[in-house]
Amino acid sequence: MNPLRHKLVDLWQARELLRQFVAKELKIRYKNSALGFLWSLLTPALMTVVFTALFGFAFQLDVDDYAAFFLSGYLLWQFFQTSSQSSITAIVGNGALIKKVYFPREVLPLSMVFAQLTHFLLAMLVLSPVLIAYRGWGVLLHLPAALAVVVIMTIFTSGMAMIWAGANVPFRDLQELIVVIFLVWFYATPVLYPPALLEKSDSATVRALAAITELNPMSWFVELFRSATFGQVRLADGGGGDISEATFVTTPPTLPDPELFAIATAFSLLVFAVGYVFFNRLALTFAKEV
Amino acid sequence: MVLDALRERLRDDDGPAVVVEGLTETFRLYHEKPSGLKEMLYRFRRPSYTDFNALENVTFTVEQGEAVGVVGHNGSGKSTLLKVLARILPPDEGTVQTRGRVASLLELGAGFHGDLTGRENIFLNGAILGLPRSEIQTRFDEIVDFSGVGPFLDTAVRNYSSGMYVRLGFAIAVTVDPDVLLVDEVLSVGDAEFQHRSLERMREFRDEGKTLLVVSHDLDAIESLCRRVIVLDRGRVAFDGAVGQGLAMYRQLTSPVTGDDEVDPRGRHRSVEVLGVTLTDRGGEPVRTVEPGRQLLLRVRLRAEDDLEACSVGLRVEGRDGDDLYETHASWNGLGVGPLRSGQEATVEVRLTANLLAGHHRLRPVVTDPSARFPWAFAEPVDLEVQATPGATGRVDLGASFSVVDGPVPARRDISVDRDAKGDGVG
Repeated sequence: MNPLRHKLVDLWQARELLRQFVAKELKIRYKNSALGFLWSLLTPALMTVVFTALFGFAFQLDVDDYAAFFLSGYLLWQFFQTSSQSSITAIVGNGALIKKVYFPREVLPLSMVFAQLTHFLLAMLVLSPVLIAYRGWGVLLHLPAALAVVVIMTIFTSGMAMIWAGANVPFRDLQELIVVIFLVWFYATPVLYPPALLEKSDSATVRALAAITELNPMSWFVELFRSATFGQVRLADGGGGDISEATFVTTPPTLPDPELFAIATAFSLLVFAVGYVFFNRLALTFAKEV
Repeated sequence: MVLDALRERLRDDDGPAVVVEGLTETFRLYHEKPSGLKEMLYRFRRPSYTDFNALENVTFTVEQGEAVGVVGHNGSGKSTLLKVLARILPPDEGTVQTRGRVASLLELGAGFHGDLTGRENIFLNGAILGLPRSEIQTRFDEIVDFSGVGPFLDTAVRNYSSGMYVRLGFAIAVTVDPDVLLVDEVLSVGDAEFQHRSLERMREFRDEGKTLLVVSHDLDAIESLCRRVIVLDRGRVAFDGAVGQGLAMYRQLTSPVTGDDEVDPRGRHRSVEVLGVTLTDRGGEPVRTVEPGRQLLLRVRLRAEDDLEACSVGLRVEGRDGDDLYETHASWNGLGVGPLRSGQEATVEVRLTANLLAGHHRLRPVVTDPSARFPWAFAEPVDLEVQATPGATGRVDLGASFSVVDGPVPARRDISVDRDAKGDGVG
């Protein structure tokens, strides 16, 4: 049997372990906090209030239903960020277990992703009335498309989780750096603002920033997910002029751009494959290094 | 290819359960571990480290159904060996092949989470050990019975006593039904009754025809479980064979003159007989009871039963609890005895000073090989009683004396009460 197939059989056989680790993560989270599951709702809800106050009212960003606009991007972003930040210590934080028992190591970061996925889906369930209230029943109609985006998002996040968890073993500073990485990454992803905002400007600097956000894979996922749960946001007039005068038109919830979806799918699979190979190469020596 | 052929052989039901060939496991001991940003930036400064071979060129084969004990000092590589067999560590050099399902019990309750209940941890720990959920469900009651934690099943395990924790861990662990079971020191935890039960369970495994590899410091347990033993010494296989002979050798490795077997691992059985031992004062008067600081003379008379090039005479002194107080050998002091013809006699004199305090002591003379590693003959121990002495308590007489070099000294009469209480003065 070739080694990769052998590994994959191992991973398949470890699905009960994955399930147990996910259950453990969820149970511990609920047992140790008074509000338990409510936290997965409170964070996006409070963030929505804060950013709506700031961008919707103070800066008067002219996007319809800013609260729903923000929420539809932030829920997905939060899934990615919490998965990454919890998986980064999945190996170094489980040294005792890794030194004493053999099991496919990738189960540890993957269990973090699936625990966060559970939070994400529950938050979606509870907060979707907000989206429906603002954006109409079209949100429900496009639910399958939204779930398809969640699937490729989970593949991408799993690949990244393995990279974070693996790289943090030889390079422990990563778990400090990740806070800064995610702060920058958050602003480079059009969660707070529509990507069209940057297209409005004549400034070369802003154009450069627009190019960066366009290459940022998280922009693609947010864009795809937002299409289905909120709608697409375009500039009301053409490009050029002052960024503060930008006005936008929003469409109702709609099918995501198929071309972008295809690119994002291919990219997710690539990141997963790279993450898997990278992680398993490092995993050989985890027991010596944690 | 050779490897494929080997794998083919392993898939065969008649193949050996474990084949280890030329296994070397290296640990890199960094003088300062390069795991941060600073070190990455200063890449040009190579990190300094020492490579340390935990296992060196280890080769052995274990047949199906064999029970093999692995013994050795701390740091001899036993646990590393089990970890490589359990796939926790990859072999750095050489190959390791196992046949069938391998389960390892390197720690009981590995992965238990304190906040989860006993019930939850049974499923979690079972999954970590690779048990399918259905298997755990089927044997759930059995696990609870065996561990005896029934009333506390829905209590968080952080509230468990260490005994309950270990019993639950063991009860889950023995539910695994492997072809090859690796056990590391699991027998040494828990109370006597628990140890007895776990030993029973190991025996059942063995009797069911499973392959068993057991690491333990409990030599009696190894002896009762295994017919074969592998002795590791600094990462190398020092012995691989029958359990009696192997354990005798291990005991000698642990302490050169405390073993009771006269097995020379190199296979040459030397026979020397101790004809007599006398303990006298320097004047030649036999003594049994002495005051501290007395000069003594120990004579060991021996006879070679075979031609031998050289041997050495040593002495170990035990305190009242049987603990080592002192050990010396003629060879450590650069003196050997020999060559001796068969039947030739020799007498060795050991001059020593009884720098001991009150109590029973036992002197154990021994005749060993020239390196003082393997005992060839033990003499009858000699008892030495040291009388109580005023002025100090403890075990050894370090000959302390007191003087006040700066400050007043009371008149003798002032400390007489204290002197009476102790029996006599410091003088």
